[in-house]
Amino acid sequence: MFTTGSKLFFGATALSLVGAIVYSASTDGPSGTMGTIGLLSAAAVFGFLAGINFSNRDGNVPAMQQGVELTSAAAARPVRNSIWPLIAAVGAAGLVVGAVSKPVVFKVAVVAVLAALVEWMVQGWSERASDDPQHNDQVRRRMLYPLEFPILAAAGGGAIVYALSRVLLASDKDLGKIVFGIIAVLVLFGGFVFAGKRHVKRSTVTAVCTVGAVALLGVGVASAVQGQRTIDEHPTTATNSAVCLEEGSEAEIDEHASQDVSAKSSVLAHVYLQSDGSLVVQVTGYTEPPSTLTVPRSTPVTVLFHNDFSSPERLTGRFGTFGTAPEAIQCTTAVNPGKTAFLNFEIPRGNAASSSDLEFLVPGTGSTIVIVVP
Amino acid sequence: MTVFENLSSRIRRRGFLAGAAVFATLLAGCAENAPQDTFEPAGPNARKIDGLQRELFYISGIVGIIVLAAVAYAVWKFKDRGQDIPEQTHGNPKLEILLTILPAIILVVVAVPTVSAVFELDKKDNDCIINVTGQQWWWEYDYSGTCGGVEITEPIVTSGELVIPAGTPVLLRITSRDVIHSFWIPRLNGKRDAVPGRLHTLRLEADQPGMYTGQCTEFCGLSHARMRQAAVALTPADFQTWVNNQLEPYSANAPEAGTTAAVGEETFIAQCSRCHQVDDLTTAGKDDAGNDITVPVLAEPDRYVVSGSAPNLTNLMTRTAFAGWTFDLLTEECRDRLWNAPPDEFGALYLQGVTPECFDETNLREWLRNPPAMKPMYTDPNNLAASDGKTRGMPNLNLTQDQIDQLVAYLLERK
Ligand code: HEC
Ligand SMILES: [Cu+2]
Repeated sequence: MFTTGSKLFFGATALSLVGAIVYSASTDGPSGTMGTIGLLSAAAVFGFLAGINFSNRDGNVPAMQQGVELTSAAAARPVRNSIWPLIAAVGAAGLVVGAVSKPVVFKVAVVAVLAALVEWMVQGWSERASDDPQHNDQVRRRMLYPLEFPILAAAGGGAIVYALSRVLLASDKDLGKIVFGIIAVLVLFGGFVFAGKRHVKRSTVTAVCTVGAVALLGVGVASAVQGQRTIDEHPTTATNSAVCLEEGSEAEIDEHASQDVSAKSSVLAHVYLQSDGSLVVQVTGYTEPPSTLTVPRSTPVTVLFHNDFSSPERLTGRFGTFGTAPEAIQCTTAVNPGKTAFLNFEIPRGNAASSSDLEFLVPGTGSTIVIVVP
Repeated sequence: MTVFENLSSRIRRRGFLAGAAVFATLLAGCAENAPQDTFEPAGPNARKIDGLQRELFYISGIVGIIVLAAVAYAVWKFKDRGQDIPEQTHGNPKLEILLTILPAIILVVVAVPTVSAVFELDKKDNDCIINVTGQQWWWEYDYSGTCGGVEITEPIVTSGELVIPAGTPVLLRITSRDVIHSFWIPRLNGKRDAVPGRLHTLRLEADQPGMYTGQCTEFCGLSHARMRQAAVALTPADFQTWVNNQLEPYSANAPEAGTTAAVGEETFIAQCSRCHQVDDLTTAGKDDAGNDITVPVLAEPDRYVVSGSAPNLTNLMTRTAFAGWTFDLLTEECRDRLWNAPPDEFGALYLQGVTPECFDETNLREWLRNPPAMKPMYTDPNNLAASDGKTRGMPNLNLTQDQIDQLVAYLLERK
């Protein structure tokens, strides 16, 4: 007869097939095709699993040898209480509540359900492993400790790091450094003391660690509630602002402007403001700097501006006037002599479509480079 | 049948299937008409890769045979014949040092040609620079400056077919307008990813004039499989001719008044030019004072297409395939003649472009009738909310048969 497991998979196969038929009949176009292919694939996979299950009879000994499970030693022992059904139930409720309220509840519930699933399954299995409870416990531990310990350690470590980071974010910048130093010293010192006194009672260690962790978590929660200190923004570029056409000044220089490494590698071109105030563009592959810079249409690109001039300057791009939209202008903040900044932009159409010129310029120096957009 | 007979026949059957699979794989390696074969390099860069991989294959092949032979020997020699368990030892410093140093030496030997090939392939000196921009699901190329000594006075924008001078190192500057693509012409060089916001270079050089095909090798969405490309190498003289033709003013090919093509031009302006550019195309308009003037017809694909671009159709019929270089513009006969032409005849044949005799109308007509039916693209007007109504690819424009006739007549003259 059909085994329990194969019934599930046969059912799923039938369901996917029906789904595929209904779906393909009720949708059309590429997404219809894709969905149908997906459902048919699911049917194939379920069918395959059903076949395997059926042919090896769920890998279930009692199914082939009626009655052994009744006479086995493990069956004679009552199973012990387990917390996992409770957690699974709470998790399932959390899934429903989370789905309509907050995503975070849903996520926690998913974790709870998954944990309960694994733990419950292994516990159930291990309690039937033999009629010796001690052995069964050992089996359970051997299965699950390699999983439980790293996960709990990571979760604990994560909680501590998170709590500490909230503290640091809430406290003043300089105070944060001191707090960090103190905590590091405490941890190091504590480790040192415990290592030196090997015979400290286990309960003492546990107590100290617990108090420390709870304190940190408590302060962390309090800080998180209080919120972060105000953090300055450091924009790299300005868009369309009148400031782009004015000379860069020392006052606006921002040494902390975002200068991601990723944005500065593999750039379209390097634009140099030379010491004589002229602009030169260096493009990979060209031995001589080209007189104009070619930029593909509608393509996000980056140029890197190097200020080799004696005073702080900015690079401004005039990226054209298309249709009724105002002229697109973008610039870097002022850059100190010897420093660089990147400019990231996209020009939607070619020169022919723009009613203004496309060029790079450094306000105040009068030097420009023509941008060619084919 | 006993259980054992049953089992052994099952094993035999499986063995047969496995053997058949291996054999089929081997046979696939013998494919004769395999134009995208890295093992048949047609230029210095590809040859470098091929040379390296052959060397490495021999070295690792020898190592592999030695290891397998040793395993086979051990399995046979020490199999359980009921003898005593041999003496159990732990650690053998001499052997261990030997087994560490030997592979290290082999790796160093392998590293030398590998690293040198890596640096060699990364060289950027060139006699021609071409910008290559990928988008769903076709490649665009733009030329400017000089290429193989040929002055390119105005930017040339084309798609699908990358025309290069043979015997000239060409530097491609590769980027993307939407998602990551990867440019690969297997017989000329390795692959290079096209990543939005980044610019990667790849050097191509073909020894001989000819057609070198390839395809996008980074999964890029629905029609990734229909994002193909070719490099077409021409002799320097032929390349000059090609450039001259690309730069010819529109007036040289403008449709004659009163022809179907002339009506096609109007249809094109009405239906197609919001996405597709035909360089120098103009139409009647008014200036601010209300006087009649001619105004340029400028495409605005950034308003209609997610990638912000559509192929430039100025010289469509100088190419041999369209829409991600997937559908032929040439009849099968003409295409085979071109592809199989010897290097010294290839250029002349290619420069003819799509002649009326060689034009395979069906593909283009089908395309104009319903593009997404031919090449899956996201163009369903009811499903474009997420992209502000912009399509990925060319939508079905519901053209009438007459409009299609006019457009085909018009497009056939674009060369
Ligand atoms: C909404 C924008 C849009 C409109 C309007 C449009 N197209 Fe297209 N067309 C595209 C896009 C995008 C592609 C590239 C599709 C691909 O290959 O994935 C394309 C491809 C093509 C190609 C293939 C070109 C090549 O070199 O590969 C031809 C030919 C073409 N279109 C003709 C037309 C004609 C004729 C019209 C007018 C009836 C038209 N198109 C209208 C967007 C458009
Ligand atoms: Cu692609």
